[in-house]
Amino acid sequence: MNLKISLPKDYSGNSEEIIFSLPFDITEKGKLTKGHFMADRNKMYVYGEKGREKTFEIKDFYSFEVFRQSGSSMFRGRRRDNSKWELFCCFSQTHYIRFAELAKILDFYVKTGELSETSDTQEPNCPKCGAKIEGMAECPFCAKRSGTVKKLLNRMMRYKVPFFAVTALAIMSYGANIIMPMMYRQVVDDVGIGEGADLSLFARIAVMIVALSAITCLFDFAAWKINIRLSTRFIRDLRKDLFDKIQLISMKSFSRRTSGEIIRRLSEDARVLQNFMTGNGRQMILNVAALMVLAIIMFVTNWRLALMVVIPLPVAGWAAQKIMKRIGAGYQRWWRRTCDSSKYLNDVISGTKVVKSYGSEEREIERYKGISYKVSKNLERAECTWYLLYPIMRYILAVGEMLMLYFGASYVMGMTITLGEFVQFTGYASMMYGPVYWLIQLPRTLTQAMVSAGKVFEILDEPIDLSESENALKCDIEGNITFENVSFGYTAYNPVLKNISFEIKQGEMIGLVGHSGVGKSTLINLVMRLYDPTYGSIKIDGTDLREMSSESLHSRLGVVLQETFLFNGTVMENIAYSKPDATFEEIIAAAKIADCHDFITRLPDGYNTYVGEKGYSLSGGERQRVAIARAILRNPKILILDEATASLDTQTEKQIQTALNRLIKGRTTIAIAHRLSTLSSADRLIVLDKGKVAEIGTHTELMGRKGVYYRLVMAQRSTSAMKETAEG
Amino acid sequence: MNNYKIDDFSIDTLRIIDVNKLKLERKDSGYLFAEYEGKSYEEVSLTRLQPFYCLDAYISVSFRNNEEEWIEIGVIRDLKEMSGEQRQLCEDYLNFRYYIPVITKIHSIRDNRMGYLFVDADTTAGRKKIAINDWWTNFRINNSGILTVTDSDGNKYQIPDLNKLDGKSNKKLELFV
Repeated sequence: MNLKISLPKDYSGNSEEIIFSLPFDITEKGKLTKGHFMADRNKMYVYGEKGREKTFEIKDFYSFEVFRQSGSSMFRGRRRDNSKWELFCCFSQTHYIRFAELAKILDFYVKTGELSETSDTQEPNCPKCGAKIEGMAECPFCAKRSGTVKKLLNRMMRYKVPFFAVTALAIMSYGANIIMPMMYRQVVDDVGIGEGADLSLFARIAVMIVALSAITCLFDFAAWKINIRLSTRFIRDLRKDLFDKIQLISMKSFSRRTSGEIIRRLSEDARVLQNFMTGNGRQMILNVAALMVLAIIMFVTNWRLALMVVIPLPVAGWAAQKIMKRIGAGYQRWWRRTCDSSKYLNDVISGTKVVKSYGSEEREIERYKGISYKVSKNLERAECTWYLLYPIMRYILAVGEMLMLYFGASYVMGMTITLGEFVQFTGYASMMYGPVYWLIQLPRTLTQAMVSAGKVFEILDEPIDLSESENALKCDIEGNITFENVSFGYTAYNPVLKNISFEIKQGEMIGLVGHSGVGKSTLINLVMRLYDPTYGSIKIDGTDLREMSSESLHSRLGVVLQETFLFNGTVMENIAYSKPDATFEEIIAAAKIADCHDFITRLPDGYNTYVGEKGYSLSGGERQRVAIARAILRNPKILILDEATASLDTQTEKQIQTALNRLIKGRTTIAIAHRLSTLSSADRLIVLDKGKVAEIGTHTELMGRKGVYYRLVMAQRSTSAMKETAEG
Repeated sequence: MNNYKIDDFSIDTLRIIDVNKLKLERKDSGYLFAEYEGKSYEEVSLTRLQPFYCLDAYISVSFRNNEEEWIEIGVIRDLKEMSGEQRQLCEDYLNFRYYIPVITKIHSIRDNRMGYLFVDADTTAGRKKIAINDWWTNFRINNSGILTVTDSDGNKYQIPDLNKLDGKSNKKLELFV
């Protein structure tokens, strides 16, 4: 990353000595300005619009930070003499990443004495347009549309044999149709009428017409059959590739998108692409080919008449473009309104309970009425414009048709062409309008397909940041966990965990304690390798998680979370999720240990009872016990309990705790619990504070230290005492 | 409808600051220094409780304690109640913290049809080419008709009243809001 962007205009010093120089753009009063922050090995300089404003000695500071606010950020340093922060400069978020990188380098410099004069970090902005491209394969604003078309064609090449077979069959069928007008010409010109009519020629032509129709039907049938197969294969493969990729991408990428958005890409965008590739794509080849062949035939037959037909085409194309632009805008407006409507419905239907309990049905009905009126009004407008297209097109093309008929008729009367030739010509002219109409609406279809293709390829091309190396170690883990200088942030430069180091021995029960938002759940997410640390490493039995096969880690990992997720299936299927090949007896044994066997036997269909969507037919405590049974069945070496009992009442918590204690025995356990009393059985407690490890020790040791843990316990005790007093 | 009184609840009530007793100063740290009811506070920050609707009213005053937690001292009901100099200080601080240029004219909006928008616009911070990722989320109009924009760097922009925008700009916006 370039950290010497530009120097102040009036800078007269030795620019070689300046190592870092970044522009900033606002004052601490929120006014626009043009300034520079510069630093050499010893000093930092702040230049404003009137020249140098401040100079600081780097050694006077022991820490640097960039603080991001709602609309601006500031770069500050902490003074050695009085520990107070000193503001250097303020800037818009455009400069945030570069200043954050600079703060990191200077911070490292004052702490270690080592100054890194260059930054290895990737440039955060697109060199062409300046937009932020952090974590993206290519700049979304500058990516060429042709790239998407190429990717789409490459994908289609997997099916080249059926694709070209279908296209060839369709062309042959169309070819048979093209012969028809020639037959009609023969009937008109050569069969004759009255007594001199050649009936045997007529019969031969009739047989040929019937035969050609039969061949056309056969070709069409064969083409459709192959096309259906091609179409289903295309969408099956595309959805499979998308689903595979979704399973492989990290939680970081996953959480950037909503689940609705991902489902839409899997279903809707994949379907649009399927239609385009197997329907419109083929149709496009066919229509372009038909148009060319027809034009050649018509020009060869009679170029003057052909010209009459072709003259209105550019006018029609121009008019179509204009109307399509309006149609596109209209449909886009309608699409926005349908999105509003879906969002609203999703909201209200998910919150039906709240709506009903506050008696706000009428209010919601009124709101929906308004939203749905806007949807229908916008659709009405868009559709009206859309249906304007064809009459206008027909009118313009009819002008050519009229000219062709007028001149054609005069040629026939002047004996320049025969009546049969004229009939043949009009046949070809009418055949041409089909492809013309189709090609007119092509830009719209193409745009829709490109939008969907862009969304689909964005997922397919996304780099897997938690990829497993080919040499990933397969091992049976024992459960020793080591954190070595681990730092992590969900977004770069905003660390949640800072330089965390500790060791957990096999079979140890560790309680993870700290204020909410301190990074407890983040820490266990790293153990589960839902994310990789930004710096440092996490090792299990001495092997870095990045070098360990995912199967080795996850086959020995058991997880019970606060919000238990049960899949829509039976109780048995949900327990067996962690070990699909478990025998029924193993499942019962796990259920017994988890204290859920008894309630399962009381369910109407026992172990085959459907738990409903997200398991909502069971109570919170029951769901939690099923989750514990699921964890037990896997026989994990490492167990993670994230607020496993937090959402339960005291009575249920006691029952669950018994089940958990059975589960914990002999396994390395990391437990997070808001109620510190539930961690009383922990061998050691790790206390996190401000993203760092504040204390490690047993309950007694930590209470004696009277530090963060002591204060947390005291705060909780006073809350409990208050509760008891309140409850009398 | 039953009106509730906040005093009916045995919880911390909203503490409205008596602005006559509040003294604020700008400090080198980038934050403010405050004296209120005989106590002094280092590292004081102001927060707009309704940053979209009330720019000068309901301003929360909080300080950072030794544990680096933000604790609210109270809420200023309206900056108009303050003396000229103190009010200016608050406004300057808030303008800095909520640095959100206003879009005054739209020259063009380019949609790359993949969820990204490029908006070429005049703003109170000069002409900008605003690049927006996932515009369904970052280019939205709220229920009160305020258009809020967040660009790919995280900069925020606003159009407080679409009706005040010229016709051509509104026409360009029409497709996206």
